[in-house]
Amino acid sequence: MKLISLLDHLAAAPADQSAAPRRAVLRQVGSAALAALPLGLGASLPAAADTKDTSYDAVTQLLLLERLQRALYTRALAAPGLIPLTQLADFQRLRLHQDQHVAFLTEALQAAGAIVPTEPAFDFSGRRGVVTNPVLFPNVLSNFDDFLALAQQLEDLGVRLYKTQAFNITNDSQLLKAVLRIHAVEAQHSAHVRSLRRGRGVAVKNWPSDTDAAIVRPAAAQVLTTAATGGEENPIQNLKAGMPIPFANFLLIRDNTAVRDSALSEAFDEPLTTTVAQAALNLFV
Amino acid sequence: MSDHSYLPAWREQSLGRRLFLRVSAASAASVALVAAGCSSSTPEPVAPDPFQLTLPSGDPGLLYYAYLLAIAQATTYQKVVDAPPTDLTPAERAIFADLRDHEIVYREMLKYAIDPTGANALLPTDFAFKLTSFTLTTRAGVLAAAQQLEDLVAAAYPALLQLVTSSNPQQRTLLLKMSTVHARHAATVHDLLVPGSFANNDIVESTGTLAGQLRTKTPTEVLAALAPFFAPFVISAANLATPI
Repeated sequence: MKLISLLDHLAAAPADQSAAPRRAVLRQVGSAALAALPLGLGASLPAAADTKDTSYDAVTQLLLLERLQRALYTRALAAPGLIPLTQLADFQRLRLHQDQHVAFLTEALQAAGAIVPTEPAFDFSGRRGVVTNPVLFPNVLSNFDDFLALAQQLEDLGVRLYKTQAFNITNDSQLLKAVLRIHAVEAQHSAHVRSLRRGRGVAVKNWPSDTDAAIVRPAAAQVLTTAATGGEENPIQNLKAGMPIPFANFLLIRDNTAVRDSALSEAFDEPLTTTVAQAALNLFV
Repeated sequence: MSDHSYLPAWREQSLGRRLFLRVSAASAASVALVAAGCSSSTPEPVAPDPFQLTLPSGDPGLLYYAYLLAIAQATTYQKVVDAPPTDLTPAERAIFADLRDHEIVYREMLKYAIDPTGANALLPTDFAFKLTSFTLTTRAGVLAAAQQLEDLVAAAYPALLQLVTSSNPQQRTLLLKMSTVHARHAATVHDLLVPGSFANNDIVESTGTLAGQLRTKTPTEVLAALAPFFAPFVISAANLATPI
């Protein structure tokens, strides 16, 4: 339950507040949550309970994502012969960025006096540490194509999760600034991994597209595909609530403003729900 | 001066509508001309610059800013699609067709966002993004131009998003959705020009507390970089807030 968990996660405040500008922010969130508690305990609470909409929840979920990505690249770089020599530098850069993002988010939590969750022991087979469970992601650390497919999905998931969480950070402009910048770096990562896959013969664009070849997963792992690209085919965008933009009125052959059908959905990267994101992340912990 | 057919439309806006670039300088010129004809005793008018376009403040100004960026990119990619260099490969042409399509969607959508009626001219009729300083007749020139534009726009969006208010969440989310597609464009073009040059230290901070984060540019910085392309028009972001 998010309100309680937020309060639980706020560690006892050290005496020195001056060195921790973010502390006040998360405390403020905590206070707001506390103030809202009587109302929050009403009928609407269960529906809201799995919605991560506080700064603390946003940062911890993003930290889990970044740690997962860092672990994938760390293990891939350590797996003999998995990554071709010509691409080693690319994945060292990806790993470095994820490591920097982990450090930043960790520091943000520490500066806020919040508890930093322990890093889980990630299992990229999808067996969640239980050897009798079925393997959901075969060969990701032994076959480069299988590795790239997973890397692409996790990078796409990352882009979408930052998109979802960015504006949940409402009280800290510096944190929002950083999240928006990291959001863009994740997109560059995804575009690069997609380039590598296309170079190896996969029909895939640098941006999620209706024309991309599907990454086939067993049913138990389908939530990862949903989290990575589910809903990307959405051709409807709203400028205001409930008011779809009438693209058909102004994307016209007559005006040389017509575009291919797939371009419309390609032009917008979609967010996802934090629930779906968490379900996908949980496949690896 | 007579080219400025947008002035009547602007005058029709009775409520200081958010739609239009502030054309006060040009308006002042018109007023000054009329005044000069009426009386020679009018105080010497300060020479106004009819090519000065000042973005509105707040979210409308940011939409206009994004619109100008889309015009820059759509104009460039339309030219590449219409007259691709002979050494641009079919796969690369397909990518540029996508870039063109995406930017057309942005340009037309932002135009709609600024003026849903479509009845008004948003810019002077002779306003254009000039391609003369690009070399769009060779693959290398096309990729260099695209990289310059994509890096600039990718760097512009996080700063822009920081300034957009939450007063219209859908509009803000729309810009957020576009921001990562621009980042994807930038990485894609980088990798075409020099494989593996995506997200390198030129575009991502490599040291300090911002390490691993995109290097961004303020509207003023971006418009300064684009100034030669929009000349003789001068676009001012003076009314926009400065990202902190």
